[in-house]
Formats: sequence, structure tokens, C-alpha cells
Amino acid sequence: MRNPILRTENLTVTYEEQQSPVLQDINILIEQGEAVLLLGPSGSGKSSLTHCLNGLFPRELDGSLTGNVYIDGQNTTDYQPGEIARKVGVVFQDPDTQFCMITVEDEIAFGLENLNIPHKAMVEKVDQALQWVGMTDHKLAKISDLSGGQKQKVALACILAMEPEVLILDEPTANLDPVATRDFIDLLKHLKQKLGFTLLVIEHKLEGWLTFLERVIVFSENGTINHDGPLHHHLQFHAAKLDTMGIRLPFATRTSLEEHRQPPHPLFVTDLPDPPSLQEETFLEKAKGDALVSMKHATWKSIIHDVDVTIHEGEWIAIAGENGSGKSSLSKILAGIQKPSSGTVFLKGRPLKKWAQQALRKEIGYVFQNPEHQFIADSVYDEVAFSLRHSGIAEEEQQTLVQETLAFCRLEGMEHQHPFLLSQGQKRRLSVATMIVDQQRLLFLDEPTFGQDERSTAELMALLEQKHDNGITIVMITHDMELVDRYADRVLVIKEGRLAFNDRPEKLWAHDNLASFHLELPPREQWKRTIKHKEQPYVST
Amino acid sequence: MFLHDLNPTVKALTIIGLVFLLAFLFDPVTPLIYICGTMVVTFWFGTFKKKHYVYYFLPFLLFAFGMFWTTLVFTDKSTASEENLSLFGINFPAEDVWVATSLGLRVLAFATLSLLFLFTTNMVHFILSLIQQLKLPPKIAYGVLAGYRFLPMLKTEFQQVLAAHRIRGVNKPETWKEWIVQYQRMAIPLLAGAIRKAERTAVAMESKGFTGDRDRTFYRPMKIQRKDWIFPLMMFGMLGITIALSVYFGYFSFYGGEL
Repeated sequence: MRNPILRTENLTVTYEEQQSPVLQDINILIEQGEAVLLLGPSGSGKSSLTHCLNGLFPRELDGSLTGNVYIDGQNTTDYQPGEIARKVGVVFQDPDTQFCMITVEDEIAFGLENLNIPHKAMVEKVDQALQWVGMTDHKLAKISDLSGGQKQKVALACILAMEPEVLILDEPTANLDPVATRDFIDLLKHLKQKLGFTLLVIEHKLEGWLTFLERVIVFSENGTINHDGPLHHHLQFHAAKLDTMGIRLPFATRTSLEEHRQPPHPLFVTDLPDPPSLQEETFLEKAKGDALVSMKHATWKSIIHDVDVTIHEGEWIAIAGENGSGKSSLSKILAGIQKPSSGTVFLKGRPLKKWAQQALRKEIGYVFQNPEHQFIADSVYDEVAFSLRHSGIAEEEQQTLVQETLAFCRLEGMEHQHPFLLSQGQKRRLSVATMIVDQQRLLFLDEPTFGQDERSTAELMALLEQKHDNGITIVMITHDMELVDRYADRVLVIKEGRLAFNDRPEKLWAHDNLASFHLELPPREQWKRTIKHKEQPYVST
Repeated sequence: MFLHDLNPTVKALTIIGLVFLLAFLFDPVTPLIYICGTMVVTFWFGTFKKKHYVYYFLPFLLFAFGMFWTTLVFTDKSTASEENLSLFGINFPAEDVWVATSLGLRVLAFATLSLLFLFTTNMVHFILSLIQQLKLPPKIAYGVLAGYRFLPMLKTEFQQVLAAHRIRGVNKPETWKEWIVQYQRMAIPLLAGAIRKAERTAVAMESKGFTGDRDRTFYRPMKIQRKDWIFPLMMFGMLGITIALSVYFGYFSFYGGEL
């Protein structure tokens, strides 16, 4: 048997202001060199467990912790403060808030300084860590100038430099585009082989991780362990259970489940059986509506360059592209939030400049990436009612409108809650509610599914689909190719501030240069390709 | 360049010392000469965008002039001499003009010294030097550094919240009351965001083994070398020569309790 590196014994954690514990009676044993996935719906205590394993709890915990956590055989409470960092390192989700220095080298050195590594050894370790993650060229760069993917590599380098035995990754790719995500996972796979650390990964999106994580620990909503065992086997045989828990399954597994097949369910699209219905799809070219918003030669600072684009009534458009390519800027210019430095945007044929703010807002809604940014009232009801206040609609009618909108967004019964106290999914739906209550015809959404678990994503998309069926035009920014594949009529791909692609999604999947856009094929498309692949021999012979 | 390579703590202490001494000089000639000297040193031994220096200098110039003008207009008229000077068509006693000029130039002298520091010092190096030379507690120092990183993020977030509120139909504030209400509204998401960010950063720092302990090694050791003493010698020497010159020509006056 290998050496047990992490062990918890009846670990229970309760936060001060909460009734029920966030982690309940957790018993885990992790051996050196294992690669473990921690899975569970949001709020099931995975991040709290991370804090227990890196020694932050019980020291910094407002609440109570019972049970024991052993790292390398020693109880975490017996370690000196800071000592655990030699054993356990964590890469967090948000690339912007896990750094405290300005430049890459200083940041990597920061952890080593904390460990009192002598200067000469420190210089060597910084270079070594940079070389491991392939960021040597960016040693002197400012962290703020790096892309999201590069920042996460730096975060990884910071931890690797300290040579911990256990590496915990807390949703490390949540903020990254598809190509950066794949790069990060490949890098990790390679480093794991080379350095042999023990790996714990918290992740919602399983594709990409399946090939090298061996074991899964599933947490249920009440903070207990639901299952602990081999990852593949669990997905193959207990997919239905995971699905009801609100966990996002890999595409192949989900498809198999939806088609009511018997376990074992496949994990990869290559293992999916060919369905009889999946033939070359013929697309009904939908008749385009009237031009709603159009943009002529729009340029903004050095971010957007000379973009021409038209949005038609009734379309569902996806904007995709690399992190930092200008997607948000473009959508803000289209929505009239940002004035372009040159060029014109027209709404219903009239330049935006000639629209009064108030009239414009009745036409266009914009849901920001962080829903909290948009909240201005102290209760859910007032939040939704706010834009109706000055609309001249009778009080009673306002009330019914607000109630209808709340019901539509599944927020009934929350009227008196403070918007900031809602869950992530509810916050997002509330921000959508505020943007549709005034009967806006065009809705922009910036990363609508970001930070949400499978259940709230599904609820949100169902809601948008219903609105779209009622004739609302939707423009969404997203990294998720599956969403693009499923919902969009048209994709705009932005590359370095220019419109690099503007056509139907099927045409994008057929594009040779998908990787240069930092995009990947959606799983359904990968599936189709594997089928074609299998068929090819018949065709050629 | 010489100024950039100096130990930041030595540089800062020198400048504080100079400001203290300059505060006791009460004639306009000495600070004027010293201002010129400081500028020459800044431009000669520092590398930075000269245009930016001008941008930073202008508000100080305006402030100095304001100081000069208010002193001139609002002080009691001096009766010590009969001599009058005409400025902008108004007659002022010559002695008042003299005092006001010295006050205005003193502000400028402080400004040029501060700009010398600002334009030739890396903030991170300054803070690292404060930890290593002046034993500033790392807990505070690294907190300041992390906060320094946050500033641009906070600015972006402020703009985002502003845009997000505009699209909700919050109009541009027109009265004071609306203005206050708008900023109250913006404060909540900004504060919530800032607290969350700060907490995440703190957790990340701790999980990298940061304890706030003074006993740590440094990737960038900040040492005081022999060449670092050239700067205080040069600057205090320059002040000495300036004072000597103005004494020689009979302009010098030291603070003697005047107001």
C-alpha cells in the first residue's frame, strides 16, 4: 500500500451563522500519487474541505470544526502556521485575486520567501517553476498583462515552486476559454507524470479531466460523502444518480442517459453508439427578420477594429473568441452602453446617438457577467419594479407585471429578500428578470452560465429559450461551445478585435482554423465526426 | 540611472529631512534656487517620460500660485515699508509680496522633491526596502502591495457598475441629492466585490505559507551600499550651498515666529 498522504477523521465543519454543517462526518483517505476528482453541486462543501486540507481551518474559521485532518501522518493543528504550505498547495478559480505581487517572478518568489528558502536556491526554483509551466519568457512580465490562461499557469508555477506533495485545484479552468482550458489540463497531466504529486481537483466540467483522474469523491448537498470510488466506473453505472444531484455529466454520458440506455454509460463521444437518426442534417434556412441593430465600421480604442455586423429580429446570436479578444466590448457597443470611437451603430435604422437613453433601454436589455453589478434596490420586488417606476404604467398594472416576471424567472416567494443574499443561480435569474420586465425586444447576456451549476444553468437556458420563442432576439457571449451548438442561429467569432467569423454554427465547426480562434468542437459535433470516421472505410472501398 | 538604483528608504528619508529643513526657510530666493537644483538633479539622473513630469508638476504649480495669492490677499497689510508693488492692477506692500512668494515657492520645493522620489522609485522596491531597512511589519507591507494591485481592478469594476446601473435606467445625477443616492447605490456592489476579492487574496496568500512573520528570506534583497550615501550628501550639500549663496547676497531669512 502506498503512503497515505491525506486523511480526515469524522470531519464536521459548521459556519457560525448557519444551522446545519457544511461538511458532515467526512472520512477520506488519499494515498500518495492519487489523482482524485471532488464532485458535488454548488454549496456541498468542496471549497470548505480545501480550506481544511491546507490548514486555513480551523485557524481562520468562524464556526466550529470537529474531527481530525492528518497531512502526511501529522494532525494539521500540530503544524506551525505556514508549515502546511510545504505539503499542500492550492490553485484557485479566479485568476485575478490569487496574487499579491506585480510581476510574475516576484509572485513565484513570494511563496518561497514565506518558506525561508535562501536567496540562491530561490532564484533557481523560480526559474525551474517557470520552465515547468512553459512561462520562462514571461518571467519579468506584469501579471495584469497576462491572459487568463497564462495567469493560471503562473498560479500553478507559484505552487509548484514550493514543491508540495499535494496539489489542490479549485475549479482552475472556470474562467478560461476552451483552448486555454485544454492547454492547462494537458500541462497538468504532463507535470503530474514528471513530478508525481498527489492531485485533488474540484471541477464542474468533466470533459478533459476524464483521461487522467482515477478516483471520484462525490459530495451531496448536505455536506456528506455520497460516494467514493473509481471515477469511470461511477460515471458509467451511477450517471442517473449524479444527474439528479445536479451534477453536469460528460456529453456522451448525458446523451446515453437521455436515450434511456442501460449502464454502463459511455464517457467519451467515441464510445457512443451511432444513433439511427443522426444523418447529415439539412438546415432550414430560417427567414431573417428585419435588421434590428447594425454596426458600420465600428472601432473602439485599440480593442475593436472596423467591425460591420447586423443583428436581425428573432435571431439567437452567440459571440465567441479567446479571453480578452474584445467580445464584451463589442457587445457593449452594440447595446449602446459604450460609444465607439468611430463608426455608427443603428437601432431600427436610426443612429443610436439619436435615441433617448430611456427609449433605448426599453428596446435593449443587457445582463452583465456579474449580476451583482446591476442590483440597485434593497429587495427582489423593488429590483424588478425599478424600471417600471418612471414608465407611467398604472401602479396595479406594475404589480401584476412584476409578479408575472418574477414567476417567469422562478423567483416567486423571494420578493422581500435582499438581492445580494440570493444564490448564484437566483441572482442571475433576477438580473434577467430586471432586463425583461420592460418588454425589451433585444437581450444581451455576458457569459450567462458563468459560476452556475448544472441545475441553474438548465433553468436559465429554458427561460431564455421560452423568451426567444416569444420573439425576443438574444445575443450571448459564451465560451461554452455546447451552448452555441444547441441554441445559436449564428456565431460571431472575435479575434484580436476583428470579426473573424460571422455565419451559422455548422459552418464554424467545418472551419479549418477553429483552434486559432481558441475554440473547440462541441461534443455533438465530435460525435458526428467519429461516426463519419467509422463510416469512411465503407465509402472508400 | 543613479536615482533609480538608490536604496528607496535612504532616498525617502533624505527627502523627508530636506522638506523639514526647507520648511524653516523664509525667503523666496533660497527655495527658488533649490527648486532649480532639484529639477536639474531629477532630469539629469533619472529616466522617465518628461511629458508626464510636466503633467504632474502643473497641479502643484496651480496650488503654489493659489497659496501665493491667498497669502497676498488675505493677510493683514504690512506697514513695515512704504514700498509698493503692482500686481494685476492691484497695489500690494512689497514685503507681503515677498512673504507670499516665499510660501508659494516653498510648496513648489516640496513638490519637486516629492516628484523626484515618485518618478525614480519603483513602489514595490520601496515597500520591500521599508520591510528590510525600517522593519515595517510584513503583514502591513504585503497588504499594501496586494491593495496596490487592486487599484486598477477597482477602477474597472467601478466603470462596470456605473454602466450596469445606467442600463437599469438610473439617470445621470443632476442634483446633489441624486448624486449622493447614486453613490450610495454603487457603494454596495463595489464594497461587496472588494471584500470578496480581499478575502480570496488573503486565503491565497495564507495557503502559500504567508504568516506575517518578520523572519523571512527575500528574493530581492534591499541593501544600503556606500553609493547610496552619495544622494543625501549631494542633496544636503546642495541645500548648504544654496543657503550660503543667499546669505552671501543678503536674501536669506530663517523662520522667526512670523505668521
